[in-house]
Amino acid sequence: MTREPLPDTGPPTRTTDLRMAGEWLARHDLADTHPTPLLASRLAVRRRARLATYVILAALIIVSALAATSAFGGLQSRRPLPLLALAASVAGLLLAQSLLDRWVRRVDQRAGATLSRRAAHTIQPGWQAVLGRPYAVFAVATFAGALVLAASALAVPDPTVRQPAVVVLIGLLGATAITALQLRHPLSFPVVAEDEESLAADVIMRVEDARELTTPNVQWSLPVVLVGTAPGWWNAAAVAYLLLSLAACVALHARTPSCATVARRAMSVR
Amino acid sequence: MIVIDAASPVPPFEQLRAQLARQIQDRTLAVGARLPTIRHLAADLGLAVNTVGRAYRELEEAGLIETRGRAGSFVSAAGQEGRERARRAAADYAAVIASVGLDAAEALRIVQAALAAGAAAPASP
Repeated sequence: MTREPLPDTGPPTRTTDLRMAGEWLARHDLADTHPTPLLASRLAVRRRARLATYVILAALIIVSALAATSAFGGLQSRRPLPLLALAASVAGLLLAQSLLDRWVRRVDQRAGATLSRRAAHTIQPGWQAVLGRPYAVFAVATFAGALVLAASALAVPDPTVRQPAVVVLIGLLGATAITALQLRHPLSFPVVAEDEESLAADVIMRVEDARELTTPNVQWSLPVVLVGTAPGWWNAAAVAYLLLSLAACVALHARTPSCATVARRAMSVR
Repeated sequence: MIVIDAASPVPPFEQLRAQLARQIQDRTLAVGARLPTIRHLAADLGLAVNTVGRAYRELEEAGLIETRGRAGSFVSAAGQEGRERARRAAADYAAVIASVGLDAAEALRIVQAALAAGAAAPASP
């Protein structure tokens, strides 16, 4: 990667960002590569966006829990207002997520515009190279599992179970839409690179982002809304789902090649 | 990998065309490989869509790539025929040179001038 600083088109890259970029490179077996302001600013914006996404997802879980308790708890059942509020919150959080994505993309575009040399792949790494089939299967399976759990709670005749299940279903679909929005970034947004090293760093960033997105935080958290009110068999199924998906997640992280290895493979075939 | 240098005196479309042509000819890009879409490559390289479109068009005219509608652009099997055509044209040219009585050094200078003129201002429809 070029060692010259970028022309000043935004706030200057902070020393902390450069240090963290160095640590990130070392974590991905690229310790001999110098962190550039380009990489530091791209990683910094991703870190902040990721943090904001966690806040968005936490807000989604909290809003779902509030909707479940205020709509269906106690004597005031079947009130549509909290459900509408939940749907509106999900839409608002989706909008917030798309604004976050736009911000990340704008920072990338601004960084790219300052480069005198631009590098790109002759063959685009597809989803199989970036995300990988095991992670894709895991993401689909955990989503399907959570969907089946929520749908099976809907089948319970007791309205105190069925109604919070609607909340879980809305929350789950909202979280999935947010994840799908985020996945567009690593899979389709333009490359920002100036040479082979920054192109490799770009691929690693994409692989890391895509893998991070498949961690089913919301799918694990949302069914908790139903625990206690749902019948025993449902609670057992929810715990089994949690344990199985957790084991699969650990196995996936332990047995699949590192982001750097995947990126090297993707680079070698183009 | 493709690298476009904005500071280079060679126009960006020619940098792109030349790099893709080289990778197709040295088989770094295999026959049938799918190239990025014009729009995507333009975004990746920070170029105008027309610039990438012109490079692709010239590669297509040279028989190195083929566009299959919405499916995208692919490295053409005809790329190997391109070399054969160049070899046959060179043999014809050598025969012309011999028939008009020019020496080999002058014949090479003519070819070099033609190649330089082609690189500086490639014909485009």
